[in-house]
Amino acid sequence: MKTIVIGAGLGGLLSAARLSKAGHEVEVFERLPITGGRFTNLNYKGFQLSSGAFHMLPHGPGGPLARLLGEIGAEVRIVRSEQTIIRVPLIKGNPDYAKGFKDIPFIEFPSLLSHMDRLKIAFLIVSTRKNHPSGVTLEAWIKAQVKDEWLVRFADSFCGWALSLKSDEVPVEEVFEIIENMYRFGGTGIPIGGCKGVIDALEAVIRKNGGKIYTGKEVSKILVENGKAAGVIVESEKHEADIVISNLGHAATALLCSEALSGEGHAGYLKMLETLQPSAGIKICLAADEPLVGHSGVLLTPYTRRINGVNEVTQVDPKLAPPGKHLTMCHQYVSPENVKNLESEIEMGLADLKEVFPGKKYEVLLIQSYHDDWPVNRAASGMDPGNETPIPGLYVVGDGAKGKGGVEVEGVALGVAATMKKILG
Amino acid sequence: MKINDNCVGCGQCASFCKKGAIEVRGRARATDACVECGMCAPYCPVKAIEVSA
Repeated sequence: MKTIVIGAGLGGLLSAARLSKAGHEVEVFERLPITGGRFTNLNYKGFQLSSGAFHMLPHGPGGPLARLLGEIGAEVRIVRSEQTIIRVPLIKGNPDYAKGFKDIPFIEFPSLLSHMDRLKIAFLIVSTRKNHPSGVTLEAWIKAQVKDEWLVRFADSFCGWALSLKSDEVPVEEVFEIIENMYRFGGTGIPIGGCKGVIDALEAVIRKNGGKIYTGKEVSKILVENGKAAGVIVESEKHEADIVISNLGHAATALLCSEALSGEGHAGYLKMLETLQPSAGIKICLAADEPLVGHSGVLLTPYTRRINGVNEVTQVDPKLAPPGKHLTMCHQYVSPENVKNLESEIEMGLADLKEVFPGKKYEVLLIQSYHDDWPVNRAASGMDPGNETPIPGLYVVGDGAKGKGGVEVEGVALGVAATMKKILG
Repeated sequence: MKINDNCVGCGQCASFCKKGAIEVRGRARATDACVECGMCAPYCPVKAIEVSA
């Protein structure tokens, strides 16, 4: 069996590694001079910044990505983070952190509610595990249960951090899938070496199994013969394959085989592609001599205007920064209408950070934004269209085809695992 | 060096610039330190960097 993978991002390399281990002859074509896509390290002023992701796996060493890496035999050490912390105003009712704040553990979020609402939440935590709510957005569902703006703020901060969406954009069923996965797999973890630690381990597996990875090689066309994927064209050279896996998302993949999809039978698929919305976000990377967060867990910040959460990966892997320095990364959601106002969005994010870290000294290393063709997620969480295409033998993996309830790279791993099941049985 | 509207501001180019000549804030901008070496262009994931030959 010969498989060609288009794109050496996390989804592409996971697929290539898994199939090379199963005995497939594998070739990976990557357009950029580097592998890893939005899941690798960028060396900047001696800091290991990232090309996208936050050097963090949402479900750590017990999650779908860690499991898949284990199955593949990719050697990465993933260290479980401390628990997620929520920063809230010192006095309930204060609109921000200006008059002081306190940090509470994630699971203690109901402690800010009235006694009555706390009972309601305790009941819902039990009842919803059996009967997941569905059919509305998370925000609408929350508002129908408990009238307390704290819960919506908390939900927005969590959805912003984890999905780069607002709670009124996320289907409630997706959130309950995520909650179920939190019970199942546990909380966040940090791969030693950052994102690139994972990418290097996958490449080692692919190479060991005789697979080939070409960088600086752009696929210009996906070949379809007798209605089936048959290979790709790279720099006007034909490369035949039994299976083609694209790491480019459904829309960009469809463009590479537009003739084959032009038939009447595929109109529904093409129409669906038009509804896909990538999610946007901004990452502000900070350098500091003293820790800003002070622990290895996520710090959620629901009482800012823009920043949703922060992590400090040097708490686990000090080598991600020069000796004695910390690397702190802050994420903010960007709404579709504000993608054109990135500069003012960034201003608000920077102002937020002064409130989140009052009196602390830090340097803004780099501000990175992600949207449109290089987004946070190619398909907004909860809207992923699966891994199959109308063309047999052509699959899509990556953040445009995540599995259900899979936050970021965990969703990528779930999507790859599902694809492997289809291919390998 | 011209940076076109494809730029999303991901900063990838800045990390590969040997001269520290790229500022990023919502989008990338070449500063006076840019020597038009073109090193950064292939690293752009959205083909936003046009280097004059």
